[in-house]
Amino acid sequence: MATDFWASSQYKRWIVDRATLRQARADDLLYIDDPEHLDFLAIYFAEVVGKLGKKLRLPQRAIATATVFFRRFYLKNSYCETDPFIVIAACCYVAAKAEECPVHIKNVVGDARQIFCHEPYNAKNFPSDNSKLAEMEFYLVDDLECDLTVFHPYRTLLALCKSVDASDDQATAQEEEAGEVGAGIAADDGPRYWGTGEGQLELPPNGLQTAWFIVNDTYRSELCLLYPPHLIAIAAIYLTCIFHPATHETVAAVLASGSASTTASAAADPPPRRSSRQAAERKKPAQDPLAFLAELNVSLPLIATIAQEIIAMYTLWDRYKEDASAADTPDSRGEDEAVVTPALLTAVLLKMREARFQDMAHPSSGRPVAVNKMLERTQAAG
Amino acid sequence: MSSMDEWTSNIIQNDPMRMYRAKRDATRRSVSSKYSILGFISSGTYGRVYKAQSLGEDAKIHAIKKFKPDKEGDVITYTGISQSAIREIALNREIDHENIVALKEVILEDKSIYMVFEFAEHDFLAIIQHHATTLRTAITPPVLKSLIYQLFNGLIYLHSCHILHRDLKPANILINAQGVVKIGDLGLARLIYQPLQPLFAGDKVVVTIWYRAPELLMGAKHYNKAIDCWAVGCVMAELASLRPIFKGEEAKLDSKKNVPFQRDQLLKIFEVLGTPEEQDWPGVKDMIEYQNMKRLDPYTNRLYEWCQTRVRSHNGYDLLRQLFAYDPDNRLTAKEALQHKWFHEEPLPTWNAFQAAPQQIPPHRRITQDEAPSMVPLPAAPFNSQTQSKPGSSASMSGGGPYVVQSGGNGGNGRKKQRMG
Repeated sequence: MATDFWASSQYKRWIVDRATLRQARADDLLYIDDPEHLDFLAIYFAEVVGKLGKKLRLPQRAIATATVFFRRFYLKNSYCETDPFIVIAACCYVAAKAEECPVHIKNVVGDARQIFCHEPYNAKNFPSDNSKLAEMEFYLVDDLECDLTVFHPYRTLLALCKSVDASDDQATAQEEEAGEVGAGIAADDGPRYWGTGEGQLELPPNGLQTAWFIVNDTYRSELCLLYPPHLIAIAAIYLTCIFHPATHETVAAVLASGSASTTASAAADPPPRRSSRQAAERKKPAQDPLAFLAELNVSLPLIATIAQEIIAMYTLWDRYKEDASAADTPDSRGEDEAVVTPALLTAVLLKMREARFQDMAHPSSGRPVAVNKMLERTQAAG
Repeated sequence: MSSMDEWTSNIIQNDPMRMYRAKRDATRRSVSSKYSILGFISSGTYGRVYKAQSLGEDAKIHAIKKFKPDKEGDVITYTGISQSAIREIALNREIDHENIVALKEVILEDKSIYMVFEFAEHDFLAIIQHHATTLRTAITPPVLKSLIYQLFNGLIYLHSCHILHRDLKPANILINAQGVVKIGDLGLARLIYQPLQPLFAGDKVVVTIWYRAPELLMGAKHYNKAIDCWAVGCVMAELASLRPIFKGEEAKLDSKKNVPFQRDQLLKIFEVLGTPEEQDWPGVKDMIEYQNMKRLDPYTNRLYEWCQTRVRSHNGYDLLRQLFAYDPDNRLTAKEALQHKWFHEEPLPTWNAFQAAPQQIPPHRRITQDEAPSMVPLPAAPFNSQTQSKPGSSASMSGGGPYVVQSGGNGGNGRKKQRMG
């Protein structure tokens, strides 16, 4: 299992399509004024998981696992009918155990209260009673269908890439990362089935670090529910080739020295696959990252799609500001480009939940109905 | 929108997950609605195991493991799922192999966790006891070889998944009515692929003492798949001789939970295998307990003599010798073991381990009425399978019985491992 993603519960049960994701948010859409806020909430919740995880000193991989648990939970539930903060605390608590770095339940409750009970989250009702969190854990594990082993892109990243830079800080950074490698597709167990098996991609200094950070950032979206982790890793490498200056220079140099058959537009055309085959035949050290990607046995159009979705997340994230006053002046952005703050999203969330609970108490008929009737209807609809 | 009314406000402020729980509770199917509990099989530190029959059309028999719920006084409360339960659930949900006990489903109900496994009629301990006390004969070579072959076959799968079992012993290795070996109890197992913390940090003591590899006894902080292969060696020797080969007394943890020097267990090993030499195990001199070990009387290796009357096959002896290599790096891996000549000479192993000797099949697993009936909601149907159980018998598979020698004092029952963390 640690070596075989295709036999995993994640592949069999937890990779879903866009329509399923939309359906999962159907109830929330009824109670939100601006549907875009749902995408911002995806960022918001990832940040909350990250904050609690860091306070609990969880390794990056455990934080990633907690985030995946949170996303899976909300494939089956609505933000407006639940309390996402207790869910987040339970996700961190279970993920720490699932990743073999357990934390005591009272620390989770204590740290969660320290973060959640204050601005900008203001979840003052967060329970101080351990058994409330343990109860949520129980329901969470049930909703997760007991599938607690999660694969992440980090391992693929380290299997595919190495950094050419041997300076001290880089080596240390990589060593730290190696300790954080999650379950993924191993490169050390026989030949890689999706690639040539010929060595690793050598990225310029900090290139691997950049790809690593891009993978971290993908958890702010729902990509982990849509695509296998190795594809997300490859998309992160691809984006590194474009956005990381040193890596991009390498790519540009290889493209510039390409044969005449490479059209001038190739450099601007992501991904320039036509030129890559020729580039691959060149001798090292001018290793062409794009050629490397082209030789992997994965669908490059799919990688491009994932890369686009990562960019879309960055575009949204750019408008997400911890503090509105620190943001750009209002007139520097158009109407659709309004800055969104955690405080605003906390208010949106509370409003959604209040409206939902009121509807459950007073349905449109005006007569209160028994809660169970409502629940049955909701289930039938869902 | 009108202002929030009291009901809404009250729920959001006091119990925002109430609706969620009501919804989930309404869809959940209870254990008793799906299974009829036939009786109690055994208990351990984790909880209790029951034999149950599916109320569905297939009417299949299952073993339901109920984790002990936490209690505050008499009130069962939520205190968090144990690390052991999380491990066993997480690993079992991912694996699928003929020689590993299959998890059918997990039911979370009423603050308790129920793991529903395929039922296996026998286990290695029952076979050993049956031969030692009833048949009073050795397990015949084809049966012995088939059992060990299938055990390795399951272990190869676990190890290829980067899972260490860490508690292989006769009571945890089951056999179904078709004679197929099923490795069970992954409660101490864990994934070892690039762990976030050293394995030692999680569990200070792993593997029941009699089956514990020398590197663990010598205080190794780092260990690997080789500890499972040592345990298989011990199991093989036990099947061959009908008693544990290294039956030492466990030194208990002190009040500060420091791990003590396991003097007696190491002596039991040295008496058969000789005192380890640096040339055989270069790493031994760097081990925590090396100085303690040096103070023990020296022994010479007499495994060959030990095997003469018990294994009665040169290749069988050679397999044991390689499984009992002191240096974990030189110990046979599960994969190498299956290539060993012993498995490829007559008699060849069979998929029904009892094919050649059906008379060696031990009696069915005994079950009793649960002494703690509150542990499982009793089915409406009366117990009807009491015919198999002797009156007054506790029928715990790992406790009681003439086979387990009750040693006095805190030497205690060597079959019980300590669980920590």
